[in-house]
Amino acid sequence: MKSAETIKRLFKDAELSIHPDTDERVFEDVLQAQQKVKESLPAVPERIWRIIMKSKIAKLAAAAAIILIAVVSLFFFGKLLAPSYAIAQTIEALENISFLHVIMHDDAGKIVDERWIEVGPDGFQRRYRQENTNRLIVDDRKTCFVYDRTKNTVVIYDPNEKQYQWIGNLREFFQDMAGDSTLTIEENVDYHSRKAHRVRWLKLNQECYIDAQTKLPMAVGPYEVYYGQPPAGTFEFTIPEQVKVYDTTAGQWPESQQDKEIADRKFDEARKLLAKGEYMQAANLFESVVQLQRGSNWVWFWLGQAHYKLGQYDKAIEDFTKVIEKIIAGFKMVPHYCHLARGLAYRAKGMEEKAKADFAIALPIMLDSLRNIDGAMIFDYADDPLYQYLPVDQRPTKEQSFARMTERLVEVTGKNFIYKPGMTPEETEQLIQEWQNWWQQNKTQYQSAP
Amino acid sequence: MIEDKLLVFRFKRGRSEALRQIYDKYKVELLKLAVSLIGDVNRAEDVVHDVFVKFVQSAERIKLAGSLKSYLVTSVINRVRNYRRDSNRHCETSIEGAGLLSSSERGPQQWAILSEQLMLLSQALQGLPYEQREVICLRMEMDMTFRQIATLQGAPVDTVKGRYRYAIQRLRLLLNGEVEK
Repeated sequence: MKSAETIKRLFKDAELSIHPDTDERVFEDVLQAQQKVKESLPAVPERIWRIIMKSKIAKLAAAAAIILIAVVSLFFFGKLLAPSYAIAQTIEALENISFLHVIMHDDAGKIVDERWIEVGPDGFQRRYRQENTNRLIVDDRKTCFVYDRTKNTVVIYDPNEKQYQWIGNLREFFQDMAGDSTLTIEENVDYHSRKAHRVRWLKLNQECYIDAQTKLPMAVGPYEVYYGQPPAGTFEFTIPEQVKVYDTTAGQWPESQQDKEIADRKFDEARKLLAKGEYMQAANLFESVVQLQRGSNWVWFWLGQAHYKLGQYDKAIEDFTKVIEKIIAGFKMVPHYCHLARGLAYRAKGMEEKAKADFAIALPIMLDSLRNIDGAMIFDYADDPLYQYLPVDQRPTKEQSFARMTERLVEVTGKNFIYKPGMTPEETEQLIQEWQNWWQQNKTQYQSAP
Repeated sequence: MIEDKLLVFRFKRGRSEALRQIYDKYKVELLKLAVSLIGDVNRAEDVVHDVFVKFVQSAERIKLAGSLKSYLVTSVINRVRNYRRDSNRHCETSIEGAGLLSSSERGPQQWAILSEQLMLLSQALQGLPYEQREVICLRMEMDMTFRQIATLQGAPVDTVKGRYRYAIQRLRLLLNGEVEK
């Protein structure tokens, strides 16, 4: 169903970004809530145990439970004790590890991802290097370099702001695993001709192989893990010649991001200027947004409005045409508000037939919106570049939208069926009827325009 | 890639970096969903903020039968429904009548910054009856199946499909465009 696909595209293309400062504050709230939960976890007081154990039934149940545990423990002793011990041994073995060498191969055996990780005494990552087909990342604790070979760029980050990592703290990973009941251990299996213990964490669908001798992980999921010293210079990075460097610690962001921020600021400013009637300045700013290869269809639309207000009708027609073409090509939709605007620009140039052709597209929807006033919203939005910033209670009411739509119709048609505040529902219905009758009588002269 | 279940597991053990990863992974999607459903940025921000706080507070009780995403989406849906019920109870005007977005009210406190397309889409969505809006958002935004939506809405699959069809037709009108036939 094509309309569903188009609407789905609208959903997917509709972007939402996050204000970083507020984001941090929101997360702090969430973190505080977590902290409070941790602090308020109730420990079972000793007194309650004593009360419970005063009951004869509780005493009998406790005795039965102890016997059952003893029997089960004897039965499973060999099976359970050894594997859980193996995990503890792995955690212990990892305490002496300073470097991880993590490799992933593709099906053909080619290395597709390789990492060197220096681990501190606390188990957390110190220095880091990752290399795959397109990127090389080196974090030497002071600076994090990201070299993108396809873009031929190096982006420098403060490691405190941006950190790449593998699984996090590997010791903690195994500690978490050890405490989980869905763990199964199969001892002394073969892993690439080496004796290993296969540890399966069913709950998380994770699988690891532990070296039976060293007790260190040999593989975690699709990654093979080794523990040797890295070659000299592994955590050093020299910026290659002829690459573009962006040092984000000095406020230099990759062009795409930088351009976006600049374009957004300019677009905001231009809208304000347009709303204030500073058409020339607004047009200049909108044009600079366009030059940054940024901006939505609305940049072109309001640039067209600025040109129209300046009497530069050819430019306005060109801008509006771009919007129409972009929206039809991109979304298979017709921007009726833009046909209205272009029609008015053609008319201002004295090209009445061209104007009528645009009005023929816009008028049926404009008339329809008198009954379905939600449809008028987009015309209101197009009329006011600052609509987005209006608080809810200052947005046009349905009555105001209705009145404004009749004004647009009057402007296009020259008819004087206009809404007056305080009209009764019957009078409003009569007004709508008058407009519809007029359209029935006159639509052919619009629709026959070339 | 660290799976969601591992994240939840680590989060339940009190690891704040796991919470950070969950938060970063889902905040934008959830905000988009809430904005689309409510049509008011500030309220949507409150809903998602509450969902994360509640998620943390319920850590001990969380037992994921399905995916983490489904859990969070359901939490957003439930909170939006509660919000709608409460606002209908306390205010004379229902949320259907409010309809319009207020992305600027929060000013410097703003969390979500909407593209114009999202704003217009969200406004258009407010013209749909709530059940239809829920179906279209879950289907279009969260890629849920009709069966999953039916479970969430407690309605037969055919009813959900009907709501979806009506919503598409109505959205075409509200978006004021003639979709290619």
